[in-house]
Amino acid sequence: MSLSERNTVVFAYESSVHSTNVLLSLDEQRKHDLFCDITILVEDQRFRAHRSVLAACSSYFRSRIVGQLEPDLIIILPEEVALKGFEPLLRFAYTSKLILDKDNIAEVCKCAEFLGVQDIEESCFQFLKFKFLDHKLGRREYQQKKCCKSRCQKEEHKIDVADDSHLETDDVNEILQNECMLKTYKSEKNSDVSLLQDSTNPTFESESGGGQGVDFASLCPKYRKYQKALGSDKSPTVESNSSIKEVQVTSAASVHQIESYTSGATQKSLEHTAVPLDAKCEDAQVEMEEDGKEEFLKQMASVFQSTECSAEKPVSFPPHNSSAATDGLYPTVFLNTRDQYCDMTLSGMQSNTEGTEKVTEKNSIVTVTGNCKPISESSDESLTLKSHLFDRENINDTSPSNRSSVEREVAEHLAKGFWSDIYNTDATCQISLSPASDQVYSEKKSECPWLGIRISDSPEHCSQRTFTTLSSVNCPFISNLSTGNSTEISSGDCVQEQPQEQCAHSCVISLEEDSETDTEGDSESCSAREQECEVKLPFDAQKIISLSRNDFQSCLKMHKLTPEQLDCIHDIRRRSKNRIAAQRCRKRKLDCIQNLESEIEKLQSEKESLLKEKDHILSTLSETKQNLTGLCQQVCKEAALSHEQIQILAKYSTSDCPLSFLIPEKEQPAPSDVMSAVPLCIELSKDLRVELPAGQSSSYRHVKSSCDAGYTKAQELCPVPIRISEKTVCLEQRVQSSGGITDFCQQMTDKCTTE
Amino acid sequence: MEPDAKASYVLSNLAEVVERILAFLPIKSLLQAACVCRLWRESSRRILRTQQSVAWVSAVESGPANTHALVRVLEEEIEKIQVLPQTVFYIADAETFSGHEESHSHGQKKARRRNSKETAVTLERLLPERCQVLGIVAPGIVVTPTGSHSSRPLEIEDGEAGFALLFPKIDGVKIQTFHLHKDAKSRATDEDQFAEAGLKNNPDLRVVLLFGYNTWKSGATRFLHQIVNRLNEKSIVLAGGHVDSFTSLTSENNTEAAQSCGVVGLAFSGPQIQSAAVLLDQDVVDERTAEAAMQRLKAAGIPEYNSLGFMFACVGRGYQHYKTKRNLEADAFRKFFPNVPLFGFFGHGEIGCDRIVTGNFILRECNNIKDDLRKCNYIKDDLLHGYTTVMTLIHLGSAKANQT
Repeated sequence: MSLSERNTVVFAYESSVHSTNVLLSLDEQRKHDLFCDITILVEDQRFRAHRSVLAACSSYFRSRIVGQLEPDLIIILPEEVALKGFEPLLRFAYTSKLILDKDNIAEVCKCAEFLGVQDIEESCFQFLKFKFLDHKLGRREYQQKKCCKSRCQKEEHKIDVADDSHLETDDVNEILQNECMLKTYKSEKNSDVSLLQDSTNPTFESESGGGQGVDFASLCPKYRKYQKALGSDKSPTVESNSSIKEVQVTSAASVHQIESYTSGATQKSLEHTAVPLDAKCEDAQVEMEEDGKEEFLKQMASVFQSTECSAEKPVSFPPHNSSAATDGLYPTVFLNTRDQYCDMTLSGMQSNTEGTEKVTEKNSIVTVTGNCKPISESSDESLTLKSHLFDRENINDTSPSNRSSVEREVAEHLAKGFWSDIYNTDATCQISLSPASDQVYSEKKSECPWLGIRISDSPEHCSQRTFTTLSSVNCPFISNLSTGNSTEISSGDCVQEQPQEQCAHSCVISLEEDSETDTEGDSESCSAREQECEVKLPFDAQKIISLSRNDFQSCLKMHKLTPEQLDCIHDIRRRSKNRIAAQRCRKRKLDCIQNLESEIEKLQSEKESLLKEKDHILSTLSETKQNLTGLCQQVCKEAALSHEQIQILAKYSTSDCPLSFLIPEKEQPAPSDVMSAVPLCIELSKDLRVELPAGQSSSYRHVKSSCDAGYTKAQELCPVPIRISEKTVCLEQRVQSSGGITDFCQQMTDKCTTE
Repeated sequence: MEPDAKASYVLSNLAEVVERILAFLPIKSLLQAACVCRLWRESSRRILRTQQSVAWVSAVESGPANTHALVRVLEEEIEKIQVLPQTVFYIADAETFSGHEESHSHGQKKARRRNSKETAVTLERLLPERCQVLGIVAPGIVVTPTGSHSSRPLEIEDGEAGFALLFPKIDGVKIQTFHLHKDAKSRATDEDQFAEAGLKNNPDLRVVLLFGYNTWKSGATRFLHQIVNRLNEKSIVLAGGHVDSFTSLTSENNTEAAQSCGVVGLAFSGPQIQSAAVLLDQDVVDERTAEAAMQRLKAAGIPEYNSLGFMFACVGRGYQHYKTKRNLEADAFRKFFPNVPLFGFFGHGEIGCDRIVTGNFILRECNNIKDDLRKCNYIKDDLLHGYTTVMTLIHLGSAKANQT
């Protein structure tokens, strides 16, 4: 903790039971149907739940619930979510306990994968699968799984991604939810369409004849319908069919241009295509009808009865499905479209056809009899639901009635719904998979555990599966998408995960610190290092250091870290901050030293110049003194002063005056250098009378006043000494000034050296 | 004397060099070196702190007669090991450990017991004073030879064998020995003992290795059930078995306790510990099924470095059980965990079940009726088995990946 942090002490109260209690009370609420705002329909069974809980636990639900504003939302889960698998998972969401046994484990595993349930670790399923595989005893074993705080990277990552961009969420979620099934489906359809478009009629027919088992199984029922129509009624329908196909192709292509290539949001594109397809279906119908293919329709009456229903069902089913699945981006639009199309197909079907032709009306009445009418009359909300039910009824209706293999297949696929057909065949395929391949699969899974088992594996798996079922398909989308997505995810994840794996960064740091610290402090640093090595960090140390404070805090919040990790991270951050601060401090000091050094240089040069000046002054002083002495002697000689007189002079002159030194020998006055003064002086000394007042210099006055007492006497005796004294004063002043300079220099040097 | 001066300068000033050199020393020499000077002391202290991987000493063949092979091996190896043991857990085969006197000089039963005590004392004397020691004797031993993590573990069903696991002080892992024995007194003392052993009020408790002794005595089963069920309520991996007797427990010197029935054990606590256990039931009869069980253990996803495997098998298993195929279970283990040393024994009954415990979740059985799901939290599954093998994998945290 930094100093500032220490100053503002904050206490945190943390309850260890709160989360469980909240969950418990939520569970209670669920049981009593309190505040439940969502209904989930699985295999005709209703489950009441809370949106927020479901969205928090499952990425699938999250994406489906986002943006749904109805007060009471109903979600119909696709058929691959089995009741047996869903119920334990719902319970898990509310109790964090998962009850697994031999019967439900496969379903639960599949559902968990499909729904993207968080906090369920794959190893559990693996473990139990092996267990149940091995144990032939068939003991009843209920596994209870408790997940406390496994909200790990995976989830965070998901959230991150979700926050990052809607598109990506779409990606991830879609992959999680409906996975590449749709993509295969889609791409397959496209390829098929193109193929069909390109192919000539005979080939087309032959394909339709031969490939119906495999290819058209994957095609949407409409195709099948037309195929059927083709099969039974050839020449006229082929044209319309091809035209339809062309239209479809173009629309599909455009849709693709818009969407599928950009983000792989194939579900959307599928939806888009589904919608146009519907439109086209109707168009085609209209076309056909307009073309006057009444006989055909009549001919097809029996077939149509089943196929028409199927046509309607997908029309209602896929939009509903995909609109719900493509979360909040265009929910309203799609809902609208859904409703619209439901209307168009169910209730509007009649009117539409009614509007165009009587025969169609007849037909539609025939086809929609019993089933469609009540539905079309029913409310919008129940529409989806009913349509679902309607599908099931259809199945029941169609499957017994149609005996031929093709028809049965159609019925089967109808039963499976729009895209779940592949899924079911998958299921069978999975069952038929040898244990060895299963093992391989499991190993593969375990090999990339953090890639997001649900994310990367499922597409992989699915692609595998789809390839097994649809052997003819060569779909670049799947491989691209799955790999691309996985790499994307992995690259996104890498930042967080890799350090954890290797802990390289923290090690680097610790090494640095180790080298920095000395032996004394080593005991602490050593333990710190160990700690660092020990604690795995979800992001690298550089990031910890480089982030700003706010970013750092948010980063910490984003990752859920153990106290150990937190400590470690704070420790790293603190250390690095300290290091930076120390560096700064050092730099500042260095700068300061540099400044001072330059100042010292300056001052030294100044000192030198001053010393030179001083020397000069001293030399001039000595010169002046000599001159003065000479003058004094001269004056004394000329004035022929007696010894006593000289003494008196010396008495009144300052000690500096050469006169005083000259006393023993012969007295000499007289300055020479001060030109203005010397002649004056000599003058004065000569006439002795005119004397002092004539001395204009202010210094002289000053001296005079100071020497007031002996002035008169000196005047009488000798005015010269006064002059001299004046001179000396002047000199003294100069000397003093030079002395001041030296003092200053001294001061400066002192200062320099101390600094 | 020039080079000497240089050397002494280096050795008394450069901590890095000293540390590097001292790191090669076995622990005993290191501790002696620590007495030389301050620098050396600091260096050795640092080295000590980095030595956090579990060491083990194992004896697989009988040596000279006068003492147990394990004692002899430990005597040699203790000079070489590089960790400072804080907890020592050893298992030796019952026959030779307590009875080699008998096999050589045909002593009486009482002599045997005293003798096993003596052997234990000799063994303990080899170990540092303050370390906890738990020693048990069992009819057969499963041991990985000293040295490499990846050497092949051996099932030694008879013959002189033994091993000692030396746990140093590991950061974030607490290992405690405990001893609970049947007492005529009230259960209050029991509670205290539970708390003392870290079996109560210890949220970090992850693994308990539990060994019952003298369980043939009357009332022992009930006593054992009491303890096991209590422990089973927690989210821990429980593994162990019934052994002949315990021989060492430094904290104990209670002969009376040794006479009555009771349990000894090791409690591993620490948030970083991960563990999984599988039970090889009676239907595991051949290589394939044994490997399937190991696969299950592998699927639990416990990290393999810094991990230990424990295998507690029934005396009835082993090569007799597998149609005279020797070492089958140990080999199956090695096939899936080539770098995890395996230790264990053949005992008189096993404790354990299929379970995974990690920091994030626990996976356990619950044997209740499906409809009453709310009560299923603490419904116990059966933990006491016979004629089975319990395989446990304990991961002691990711501190130092000391893989070889």
